[in-house]
Amino acid sequence: MRVLTRRKFLRTGILGGLAAPWLGRGAAFAQNETVGSAAGFHEGISDDEILLGTSAAFSGPSRGLGIELYRGAQAFFNRVNEQGGVGGRRIALRLYDDGYQPVPSVQNTMELLLQDQVFALFGYVGTPTVTRVLPILKKFQEENVYMFFPFTGAQPQREPPYGEFAFNLRASYREETAGLVENFLRIGRRRIAVFYQADAYGRSGWAGVREALGARGEQIVGEATYTRGAAYGRSMGEQVEILRNVSPDAVICIGAYGACAAFLRDAIDFGLEVPIANLSFVGSENLLQLITDSVDDSERYTRYLVNSQVVPSYEDESIPVVREYAELMDRYQPEVPEPLRQPDYVPFDRSFVSLEGFVNAKMLVEILNRMGDSPGRARLEQAVFTVRDYDLGIGEMVSFSEQRRQGMQRLYYTVVDKGRFVPLDDWQARFG
Amino acid sequence: MKLNMNVQKLFRRPLFGIFLLFGIIAVSTSWVCIATVDSQLSEEYESNSRGIAQTIADASVDIILNRDLSALQSLIDQFLEIQGISYIYIVNEDGEFLAHTFVPGIPGEILASDPANTDTVERVLAGADSFVEVGSPILAGVAGSVHIGMDKSVITLKIQQAVGRQMYLISSIFLVGIIAAIMLMNLAARPVEHLLAYAVQLARAEREGEPAPGALLERDDEAGQLARLLLYFSRVADPEKAGALAQPEAS
Repeated sequence: MRVLTRRKFLRTGILGGLAAPWLGRGAAFAQNETVGSAAGFHEGISDDEILLGTSAAFSGPSRGLGIELYRGAQAFFNRVNEQGGVGGRRIALRLYDDGYQPVPSVQNTMELLLQDQVFALFGYVGTPTVTRVLPILKKFQEENVYMFFPFTGAQPQREPPYGEFAFNLRASYREETAGLVENFLRIGRRRIAVFYQADAYGRSGWAGVREALGARGEQIVGEATYTRGAAYGRSMGEQVEILRNVSPDAVICIGAYGACAAFLRDAIDFGLEVPIANLSFVGSENLLQLITDSVDDSERYTRYLVNSQVVPSYEDESIPVVREYAELMDRYQPEVPEPLRQPDYVPFDRSFVSLEGFVNAKMLVEILNRMGDSPGRARLEQAVFTVRDYDLGIGEMVSFSEQRRQGMQRLYYTVVDKGRFVPLDDWQARFG
Repeated sequence: MKLNMNVQKLFRRPLFGIFLLFGIIAVSTSWVCIATVDSQLSEEYESNSRGIAQTIADASVDIILNRDLSALQSLIDQFLEIQGISYIYIVNEDGEFLAHTFVPGIPGEILASDPANTDTVERVLAGADSFVEVGSPILAGVAGSVHIGMDKSVITLKIQQAVGRQMYLISSIFLVGIIAAIMLMNLAARPVEHLLAYAVQLARAEREGEPAPGALLERDDEAGQLARLLLYFSRVADPEKAGALAQPEAS
């Protein structure tokens, strides 16, 4: 039975009052779907269910990211639920669509915490959304609300003052950009330009490139931006022109698949034939599909493409977690629940993003298992800190501690060969 | 009752004068309105923007010194949602752009300007509108500065709206005033019309030897007096009637 103390009642009432305008407005465009439900919740947990809350992009130009991340996670949760759940409790997800926009993500989060009373936040997508949600977590810190494994490598959820309210599994953008810069410099490509989304995500990547170059005595030679939400149909000619004028040896893109695919297309069309790198957030398969579906000679365009990834290739079934992922994706073929389903979106059988969602879910279930028979938010953080050198089956041991709130660091680089992403082993041979 | 909007020749000049007067009032009040709204709105926008720049500058110190620049970008993105603010950029003490909101890139005019200057400046950016830019130093300038660009077209639009409303009001008053003036003038002109008609009837009666019309002679206003005077002059001009007029005096 749900226990509502006087203090909690007052706090909920006050926060509810403060949040009323948000909730009222949020209802106008927030769609939601609970996968499973149960009565008698306390802190998002009932006798037979653990309720997690998600706000992600299920619509708009970046919908592929939210959809694929959810599908990967749901594949693992389906298996867990089929086997009896965590300590006899099924895992349910309360889903909201924020369209990769900050204001809806804040509204959705207030709804998840005040209305739905979820156990924890899980599977959020994007830097501009997550950075705006972090202060809410601080506001609810006495309620022990944590965010698990957001699909962003930005710093704000990795460092004070909000780092203590989030746990990250993937490598950071700082690590991704440093890796790209290091590899480009190693093969003699010193003039590095940046094409980025004009928001917190783009700035995070830009700052990573700047820092990595600065550490090696170099600096960004040119930069161009685009507005968040730009679709593939938009021309990036102006941006290409700006960067072409500084004659870069390589361009690092910090964006989502629609805009980055448009930039790649226009760059090649305008003769900017240099390596064009993307971060893991881009949504590699979505990007590649846009290119291959719209140009005749797609190899000419993808020859210069290099994407960094935070999970290994989903085709490398020598890796245990990839085998497990492939098996469960095939078995469950998860789809986004009906109210959020996009009829014109065809999901990928496999993708880096859904693999990341799968790995995130696997890690979270392990943490939930570590809470024992009487799970509660208050025990959650300590349960995370018991994860030391845990083998997720990904080839890298995962550890968390008070000082270490990011589980993995490994990066993988991929290029396109015969229409699919393959590991990049030799930078010199490919781009030297 | 049918409204007669024909203006008597007698009153065309006064009516033109009224038109002219209204025109002068409309132009002068609009000019004063434009000047006042422009000045007040510009001052208000500048003051608000300077306040926002100061707020960002104060909030930026901790971020610049301790945190990732994505937090700085997130901060300025929120302020960009305020109406009238078109761009924001933050430079460090070396003039390096740490965060900005420009798409597709930082304009050349801004790259070429002095980033340490936090005075109010007017900018015309290529391919864009005119802007008023205000700045605020971060940590007295040792950590850089915040710059905010306000779109002048927003101020222009507000001026147009204010002047438009005023012109609408003046035009309405002008229209009502002109209709009222024409009606009043026609009312004032009616005795003159009657007098004119009387004079014509009198002349016709004199020519055809008929008795003089008497309708207007009974009125006790100026029209009646003038009618009687006209009758008197017509009789004075006629020696027979003049004699008839003089006889009773002789007897």
